[in-house]
Amino acid sequence: MSWSFPKLVPRSAPVILLILTLAAATGFAAVSHLVARFTANQQSRGRKLYAEGLAETRANDYDDAINAFRAALTCDPTNSQYQLSLARALRDSNDPRRLDEAESYLIALWQRAPQDAAVNLALARVATHRGSIEDATRYYHNAMYGVWNSDPEANRSKARIELIQFLLEHGASDKAASELMALATALPPTPAAHLQAAELFAQAHDYAAELAQYEEVLRLDPANSAALAGAGNAAYRAGDYITAHRDLQAAANANPQDADSRLLLATTDLILRNNPFQSHISDPERNRRITAAFTQAEKRLVECAQKSSVDLKTATPTTSSLATLQSLWTEAKPDLAHLRSPTETDLPDAIMDVVFQIEQQTVATCGAPQGLDLALLLSSQKREAASQ
Amino acid sequence: MSNSSTNHPAPAPVAPLQAPSRLFSTLEGVFNEELFFLILSVFIGIFSGLAVVCFRLAIDWTHLALLGPLPQTHSWRLFAVPALAGLVVAALVIHVFPGIRGSGVNQTKAALYIFNGFVPFRTAIGKFICAAIAIGSGQSLGPEDPSLQIGAGIASALGRQLEISREKLRLMAPVGAAAGLAAAFNAPISAVLFVIEEVIGRWSAGILGSVVLSAVSSVVIVRWFLGSEPLFRIPITTFKRPTELIAYAVLGIVGGLASVGFAKSIAYLRPRLNSLPPWTQYFQPALAGLLIGLIAFLGAPQIMGAGYDSMDQAMHGQYAWKMLALLAVLKIVATTFSFVSGTPGGMFAPTLFIGAMLGGAVGDLERHFFPQLTGSTGTYVLVGMGVLFAGFLRAPMTSVFMVLEVSGNYEIVVPVIVANTFSYVISRSLQTVPIFDMLTRQDGLILPSLEEDREEAILRVEDAMLPAPAIILNAEDYVDANARRVQDSTDSHYLVRMHPSGWNIIGRDQLQRLFREGKGEHTLASVLPQSLPSLYPDLPLDSALRYVNDYPLVPVVNRANSRKLEGVVSRDSVFKKYGSRRTEEVPNAADWVDP
Repeated sequence: MSWSFPKLVPRSAPVILLILTLAAATGFAAVSHLVARFTANQQSRGRKLYAEGLAETRANDYDDAINAFRAALTCDPTNSQYQLSLARALRDSNDPRRLDEAESYLIALWQRAPQDAAVNLALARVATHRGSIEDATRYYHNAMYGVWNSDPEANRSKARIELIQFLLEHGASDKAASELMALATALPPTPAAHLQAAELFAQAHDYAAELAQYEEVLRLDPANSAALAGAGNAAYRAGDYITAHRDLQAAANANPQDADSRLLLATTDLILRNNPFQSHISDPERNRRITAAFTQAEKRLVECAQKSSVDLKTATPTTSSLATLQSLWTEAKPDLAHLRSPTETDLPDAIMDVVFQIEQQTVATCGAPQGLDLALLLSSQKREAASQ
Repeated sequence: MSNSSTNHPAPAPVAPLQAPSRLFSTLEGVFNEELFFLILSVFIGIFSGLAVVCFRLAIDWTHLALLGPLPQTHSWRLFAVPALAGLVVAALVIHVFPGIRGSGVNQTKAALYIFNGFVPFRTAIGKFICAAIAIGSGQSLGPEDPSLQIGAGIASALGRQLEISREKLRLMAPVGAAAGLAAAFNAPISAVLFVIEEVIGRWSAGILGSVVLSAVSSVVIVRWFLGSEPLFRIPITTFKRPTELIAYAVLGIVGGLASVGFAKSIAYLRPRLNSLPPWTQYFQPALAGLLIGLIAFLGAPQIMGAGYDSMDQAMHGQYAWKMLALLAVLKIVATTFSFVSGTPGGMFAPTLFIGAMLGGAVGDLERHFFPQLTGSTGTYVLVGMGVLFAGFLRAPMTSVFMVLEVSGNYEIVVPVIVANTFSYVISRSLQTVPIFDMLTRQDGLILPSLEEDREEAILRVEDAMLPAPAIILNAEDYVDANARRVQDSTDSHYLVRMHPSGWNIIGRDQLQRLFREGKGEHTLASVLPQSLPSLYPDLPLDSALRYVNDYPLVPVVNRANSRKLEGVVSRDSVFKKYGSRRTEEVPNAADWVDP
């Protein structure tokens, strides 16, 4: 069987080149048609496989989802959506070995469209899996300022909240605080958004900002019991016991079943009634509070010593820290008699220093106090914070 | 049917060999053959590119139709399809396309050196069909070698049809081969280098332009249709500390040993399977397919076909080192059986696969013991690919450039060079004959090899040079003075230093005759009109052959100062040198028989 070509070509270079050009153009057109048909078939097959992959993802069956997405990609290798979905499935499959591949897909997508918010968000989540604060921050920021296909504001806010939560989980409070400030300025005017922001501020230990968010919720929805309790709680932790008392009282009234608020309300009440440094109280009342606190401190000291099996009569400062406190208390006791003297203006502070030392140091030995001791401890902390 | 490229069909009548050919007799003044050949190279690239696009679609379509988009382990298809397709391929090879068994590289090389550039077009069609079925059905072979041969077949057919000169027709096959390989790999530089290293076998400036043009144009076509996505998604590769080169050197050593094992297994099994009764050849591809199907069925479908997807996954750390090592071993077994069974397909992709898996395994293992190593798994996988390419295919330059071209990352060039060098040296030490040469020798052909050329020490003029003669005459002196200078000498010829430059020679008898003829008061310059050619010490000794028959002595002069005589060569000294070399270099008989 001979396969030689028929000798059709006239022997003239221009004609030969023309014929070769025509043949190339014909071949090009034919292959274009072939590739187009093949590609169409492949894309159709790829769509089916992709739908299967999405279903598997929704069922949290990541292994099957990965297989389906891979198969979809063999049919349509350049499809960005398939690559993104495969990368997400690889990332979410909780197999650290797959993170590299997920990242590789996402980096390739990112190189093609660095402004794509979805890709940046996916990369940010890979970075969170790796625990990389720097990368996560960069990609979350890219996602926030990138292009979203739908509902950009809500998606940006969600991305920032994810970043804040990640930063808080990884102890980057400073970075989280700055992100929270940015978040607070761009929150949608809904109670839910402000409640979520308040929780984040609470995690960041920014209780004043937390309180501000709850107050914003209460402005939008004055009867919101969660916001009332949250505001009381935030004010309590911020040391603003007057506000805390007001809000906790309102929360307890709004929801009588709210035991936490009632407990805090009781403590707040004790603080407000027993703190000698409370403003707008008379001198006799201050002296009464100091005397009561001094008596309570001794009681706490004795109870703590009993609990720790320390005999305060025989113990020395070298054998027990409680003995040191006992010695301080004993030295300060005569000063109580001079409280009313107008020349002894430092005495209230000196006596309360002893009280606060006892309340603070017994926490380490005897655990957290209750009742008036707790009120005195919190008062001491507020006083310390104010002096700092 | 013999499993050899000697079953090349007898060359079809080659185009008339008159020079200039009929074509160019009508084109005088418009195109010369060189220019036309360059333009033709572009068309060869375009046609080869189009053919390779179709070939890849055919493989993909076959794969999807027979195995589905993503083969699952424990599926009956995995077990049955490669074997059944093997039967079909065997029947086609035996009855329709008997010339397509064996390596396309060697067949193209044979076309260049033996068959005046003739690659049957039928072979190209046969390779297209049978390789698409074989690779698509999961045989452990790659599409690059068939693509190379398809390109060579198209180029050869075009050259024959256009009746270009024999000299150019011979070069058509490598030009087409470069186009086919470049299109298959989507890597023009590697394709050009490979064709130079393995097909043409020597550096030839005359063909380089055409090879480059065809390779580039075919890659443009492939990228137009199939996109410019690289074969692999390259991971982040790093090379930070020079001390880590030791880790890559270890990879090179392991890769070199694996290359030798792979090559020796093919060398051992191929002649034995060829010597079986002819009827067994109906079943050899099917049995290879059965073995591959079994391996895939039992849990390693990654070894099927070219395996680029699995290489990509290995690059991204998807497999633990034990799995990587297992896949490397299984791929060696599967590819060996696929290839020696005579199934059409190439060994490029399997070589890369084995190297990738081995690289990943060695890298992971090294990092397990030395966690301070910074190279990622992907880096070792990439370097491993080059290592096997250098060790098994014995194309050291291509191996380096291929990794660089595929990865697009020059940071790993040093690890690649180090690892490839170790692999190449070990492979050369333990397996004297490169795989392609071994295959041609098993088929009874002796084709030139760049590796052998590299090894051959070139004889130079200085090797045959004799010391400068004691008496050198001066062209400005009179004949009688020169005659007096030589009267006590026994030499038959004397070199004459000409002025202002150049050399000449005069015989003792001629000098005395001039003296007797009364020309004693003439200067030698006036009676010696012609100059004597001179040589330089570093020239190849072959260049002395042009003169030593015509002149009894040829001066060897300094390149910086042509009046400074370094020595002389004579016919005797040159031939003596060649004679002594011949006795030094009796070929090793072991190299010429089947290993």
